[in-house]
Amino acid sequence: MLKTLIKKQFAEIFRTYFYDQRKNRARSKGSVIAWFVFFILIMGGVMGGLFASLAASICGGLLAANTAWLYFAVLGLLAVLLGVFASVFNTYSGLYLAKDNDLLLSLPIPVRTIMASRIVSVYLLGLMYAAVVFVPTMIVYWLHAPLTFFTVFGPLVMFAVISVIVMILSCGLGWVVAKISLKLKNKSFVTVFVTLLFIAVYYFFYFKATDLVRDLIANAAEYGEKIRGSAYIVYLFGRIGEGDIPAMLIFTAASAIVFLLVCWLLTRGFIDVATASVPAVKTRSRQKNEKRYSVPSSLLRREFARFTSSPNYMLNCALGIIMLAAAGILLLVKGTDILEQIENMMPEYPALVPVLLCALICMLASMNDMATPSVSLEGRSLWILQSLPVTARQVLFAKLKMQLILTAIPVLFASVCAQIVLRLPVPEAIVFLAVPLLYTLFSALYDLMLGLVMPNLTWTNETVLIKQSGNIALALFSGWGYELLVAVAFFILGKSVGFVPFMTIVSVPLLAAVVLLYRWICRKGTKIYQEL
Amino acid sequence: MLRIEYLTKTFGKKTAVNDLSLHIAPGEIYGFIGHNGAGKTTTLKSVVGILQFDAGEVKIGGVSLRQDPIACKKMLAYIPDNPDIYEFMTGRRYLNFIADVFGVDEKTRRDRIREYADRFELAGDLEQPVSAYSHGMKQKLAIIAAWMHEPRLIVMDEPFVGLDPKASHLLKGMMREVCDGGGAIFFSTHVLEVAEKLCDKVAIIKQGSLVRSGSMDEVRGDDSLEEVFLELEAEE
Repeated sequence: MLKTLIKKQFAEIFRTYFYDQRKNRARSKGSVIAWFVFFILIMGGVMGGLFASLAASICGGLLAANTAWLYFAVLGLLAVLLGVFASVFNTYSGLYLAKDNDLLLSLPIPVRTIMASRIVSVYLLGLMYAAVVFVPTMIVYWLHAPLTFFTVFGPLVMFAVISVIVMILSCGLGWVVAKISLKLKNKSFVTVFVTLLFIAVYYFFYFKATDLVRDLIANAAEYGEKIRGSAYIVYLFGRIGEGDIPAMLIFTAASAIVFLLVCWLLTRGFIDVATASVPAVKTRSRQKNEKRYSVPSSLLRREFARFTSSPNYMLNCALGIIMLAAAGILLLVKGTDILEQIENMMPEYPALVPVLLCALICMLASMNDMATPSVSLEGRSLWILQSLPVTARQVLFAKLKMQLILTAIPVLFASVCAQIVLRLPVPEAIVFLAVPLLYTLFSALYDLMLGLVMPNLTWTNETVLIKQSGNIALALFSGWGYELLVAVAFFILGKSVGFVPFMTIVSVPLLAAVVLLYRWICRKGTKIYQEL
Repeated sequence: MLRIEYLTKTFGKKTAVNDLSLHIAPGEIYGFIGHNGAGKTTTLKSVVGILQFDAGEVKIGGVSLRQDPIACKKMLAYIPDNPDIYEFMTGRRYLNFIADVFGVDEKTRRDRIREYADRFELAGDLEQPVSAYSHGMKQKLAIIAAWMHEPRLIVMDEPFVGLDPKASHLLKGMMREVCDGGGAIFFSTHVLEVAEKLCDKVAIIKQGSLVRSGSMDEVRGDDSLEEVFLELEAEE
């Protein structure tokens, strides 16, 4: 039975590699191989390469300082961290939100067997992410250290211990996430906030990594002593990599005991959590909510409700809001220094700084593309708008307005921040504020057109629609393509033409595109929508 | 109230509805019967403006659906066979959205929401997101939404599927109320006993074409509706 369930789990995990959901048919053998090669290249080549270079940069120094355990402790903890963070939400959805929970629970299968099959897939996912860090760690170590039984065996045991720790933490945290999400009211915003926090922390450490590594190597002995004194368990953890037998035994036994305990707890609470949905608490009617809105306002509110209900939608199609706000604040704080440096790099281009800032704001604005999936997201509910007395134009304009509101405000904020630093004269300032707004309008119209031209109303997974649709990729890259054209034009004309004339030249085709797209949406677009 | 004339709808080479004509007068409950794939849903979706039909004419309250779809839609309400309602809204928000679209004033919508939610015992669930609703609850919400603006014509596709006996009974009463007030109901069903007891008129569709229509007595004669239906189905 367990074998059957594990086979099913694997078929589910790797379904995308074998099955093309858009074409609704199995992939060809060549395509399957290509997908796996691509996956291995990303995981092993790109991510593994990053960690291999990190390992290579600290291994020699730490081994020379006779603190190999610190090398294993640092990279081992990194492997645990990556394994847990990368798999905790998958664990949550795999263990508790699996769509076949009800089906399997209705079959004569013991709960512990269902759990075991789920845990195996969690283990493999964690193992994969931990391997991305720890396999290069081991290889780099073996290249630096003399090869003995202990130096070869130790890292292998440590890798096995790490994989179990990752699984324990993932299962535990997955359970916590499941428990919290049952009680959470604004799940979408909390998910978006946590994800953004994680991204911010990641980039903070990413940019500080060089300094941290340099500091660690320079003061290896001192840090080693401190950790040994105050966090002995971390020292012991690192010692496994060096092949220390007592450390291996202690960690193997401890992880086995904790793992069994976690399994016991999960099996006990599995049915309660897996079968619970949103708490069906009867609430008192709130009659004051009955406020009347006009049809356009009501349609716009509907778009916003759709947008804020989905963390995936917000994270993938509205990252520009955060980036524009961050860019504005960064310009206010460090703008003068940064702009001075840029200006000095190419003094022969007098309008370099304002053009560059304008292009940067436009590029960040193009990261907002919520109008594109908004058509497909109607999905099976499309009948509601089609049967109501609203015109296709009203519906499409509501989608357009949402993107304009969510993009124009942060664009204006970033532009004003830039203007405070730049202190451009009035005519130039007007152009500087107007061009990104014109681009925002173009971007919204273009994104909506892509949504109408390439609709997909038969989706089963919203994430696939939002993340992997062709029109989403086109929306993003076309925006960047326009920026590239502006850059090319600037390097051709920038030496002889000032800021206002140059921006006027690049805005004319943009304005023409806006007019054409607007007419297309009003005529052809509404027709396409009616016939969906 | 509803006049369908020579309605034809094709999907590629397949003709789903072929030259279908029906007339539903105010005060009538009109049943629409046919086996799976006979063309019932296609007809209903064409009547409410979801599907663009290839030929024929649909008039609601004397207004052509082709010429003024918005005016027609303002007069009607539609309940599909599978109520896929916005899962990102709460029940109350959905009802308010529908009321906004139809321009129902605040007092009226408050009264209607309270009245119908109480009738269907859904008042305590209106603050829940629709994603937490069962099929039956979604069906009840779709019914309340349809009744929000007092439509003159209500078109329903298998409205009793998923409803509990009490809600089904309630819906039948509400249908009759609409017709007593001068409105009309056009609905499809597989439950022939319901059609027989509830409908003033009935139409039987087979392979996209109307094979019989008229008052209940005219259609069934001395037999039961089930016998007539099975007999017509058996005919080549």
